[in-house]
Amino acid sequence: MVSLKLVRRYLLRHKVRSLLTVGSLVVALFLLCLLQSLVVALDAGVRNAKRNRLVVQSAVSLFVDLPVAYQQKIAAVEGVQHICKWQWFGGRYGDDPMAFAQFGVDMEVMDRLYPEVVIVEGSYVDVMADRRGCVIGKSLAQRHGLKLGDTIPLIGTIFPGPNGAAWEFIVRAIYEPANTAVDPGTMFFRWDYLDESVKAMTGESPGTGTYFLRTAPGADQVAVAAAIEKLFENGPQRVTSSTEAEFNAQFVSMMGNVPFFVSAIGTGVLIAIVLACINTMLLAFREQQHDAGIAKALGFTDGSVAGLMLAQSLLLCGLGGFSGLLLSKLLEPAMRALLGSQFPGYEVTNQTLLLGALVTLAIGLAAGLVPTLRARSLRVVDALRSVE
Amino acid sequence: MSQAMIHASGLVKGYSRGGETLTVLDRLDLEMAEGRFYALMGPSGSGKTTLLNLIGGLDQADEGSLLVAGADLASLDAPALARWRAANVGFVFQGFNLIPVLTALENVELPLTLAPLSRKERRDHARYALKLVGLEEREGHRPGQLSGGQEQRVAIARAVASDPKVLLCDEPTGDLDRKSADQVLELLARLNAEFRKTILMVTHDPHAAAVATSIVHLDKGQLGRIEQNAPRAGAATRG
Repeated sequence: MVSLKLVRRYLLRHKVRSLLTVGSLVVALFLLCLLQSLVVALDAGVRNAKRNRLVVQSAVSLFVDLPVAYQQKIAAVEGVQHICKWQWFGGRYGDDPMAFAQFGVDMEVMDRLYPEVVIVEGSYVDVMADRRGCVIGKSLAQRHGLKLGDTIPLIGTIFPGPNGAAWEFIVRAIYEPANTAVDPGTMFFRWDYLDESVKAMTGESPGTGTYFLRTAPGADQVAVAAAIEKLFENGPQRVTSSTEAEFNAQFVSMMGNVPFFVSAIGTGVLIAIVLACINTMLLAFREQQHDAGIAKALGFTDGSVAGLMLAQSLLLCGLGGFSGLLLSKLLEPAMRALLGSQFPGYEVTNQTLLLGALVTLAIGLAAGLVPTLRARSLRVVDALRSVE
Repeated sequence: MSQAMIHASGLVKGYSRGGETLTVLDRLDLEMAEGRFYALMGPSGSGKTTLLNLIGGLDQADEGSLLVAGADLASLDAPALARWRAANVGFVFQGFNLIPVLTALENVELPLTLAPLSRKERRDHARYALKLVGLEEREGHRPGQLSGGQEQRVAIARAVASDPKVLLCDEPTGDLDRKSADQVLELLARLNAEFRKTILMVTHDPHAAAVATSIVHLDKGQLGRIEQNAPRAGAATRG
């Protein structure tokens, strides 16, 4: 039997040491959750991708535009229900170091293609009524204090504005994402406005980087993708079709093996904290081995004395670990706001918390293992001879 | 004639030191009656503490048999030996050996957590034991806040709290001044006289030994002479 009172008293015996150990565990577990949540965020686009959406891009590179004339041909492929152009704009907004993404899209099909982009202020109708109208995410609006009717001036880096001046877009709708895969800090504007303006300046269409399309219910995704690729096999621009998940995955792979790198940092932090906790518990055992001998002399079994050491380790690590997990959950909104544009899918998931809890348990067991075994095998006469 | 509380026969115990075996107890035969107070005396290295450890089940003999309070200690495995200690033996050490993070009351209560008692019963038993040693006013004090004599009295309260049959005391007055030592000896004598506790006390001090009903001499691991003391009224306060 382990007296919880005794466990608590021993932990409070060296308050500073216990506090520092708990503090280091709080930081370590918070960091672990943060890193794991970043990995989850990187994967959010892949994980939450819609199964009924395909993406068509140039077979050469994502950075090679597709002809606008392809749209009608793709729309005519059996199984394609809706199609939407997506053109990366790449404009610069003032001196904002955290630039946000801007896309020219076919606004008239956005609501059907992207139901998870939920309009909370204004409407698509308002955007369609204004050729300079745009839809922005709520976090983008909050970050820059933007509201309906405000003008967003953007310096075009790919598509220079008329006479080198800034492009001006008017906020006509604000959205909130229905899931974490959608960046709450993106701006969508009318592709036809971009097309007209660029044509007026250069005489050429800006084209489109990708076509996003939604397949009809029951359509065979593989067959639709293959049919689209076959359609342009001998065309001026060959295309490749992929599911939205595959498309999003290529962005993650562009960043290299980030999950491995992040996991390696997390593992390093954990190893360091395990060693620190083992050291703390070994110190505690050394101080308590005389008391352990007394307890055994009084009639406590080897198991109960060993349990006392293990309980201290588990309580100490549990206190620090679970505080770290709690902190990571409490700070989730703040971290999401901070990392929003880079990691729109930042979320401390239940799986991450479960992983953190298991890691905490493992640290507690690892730190308590040696002292527990030593306490168990401790001979009473040797322990009573030891001096604290 | 009293029954034998402790019966040792052919007891051998040795230690290995640097490849050599040092025999501390050499075929020792001993019988101690229930309800008596024994002082165990002898020069350093004569095996007094080793014998006490064997009788208390803290260590195992290499050879021989040892029956204490009706139990053959060699036949008990570690958990059974621990349970036997909790029920039958109370220890009083020279260095008091209180748990420093617990109060006096909690220290006395500690062995009672092994007994089938309710929380209230444990508290009542512990308070009674503290009252017995005259320290009920100090129940909330931690060992560091008590004098040496008070600490030893708390240790005695802890030793008797679970009402053991045997009290094993290893130099209980060795770290105390004369006045505190006399208080402790008087307390042990009272426990023997009033509560019929069988007490075995290791001591170097003839003054302390004078409190016992019998003095057992040990030399080179062998039993020496056994002296019977005169009635001890006032012995603890003599000198």
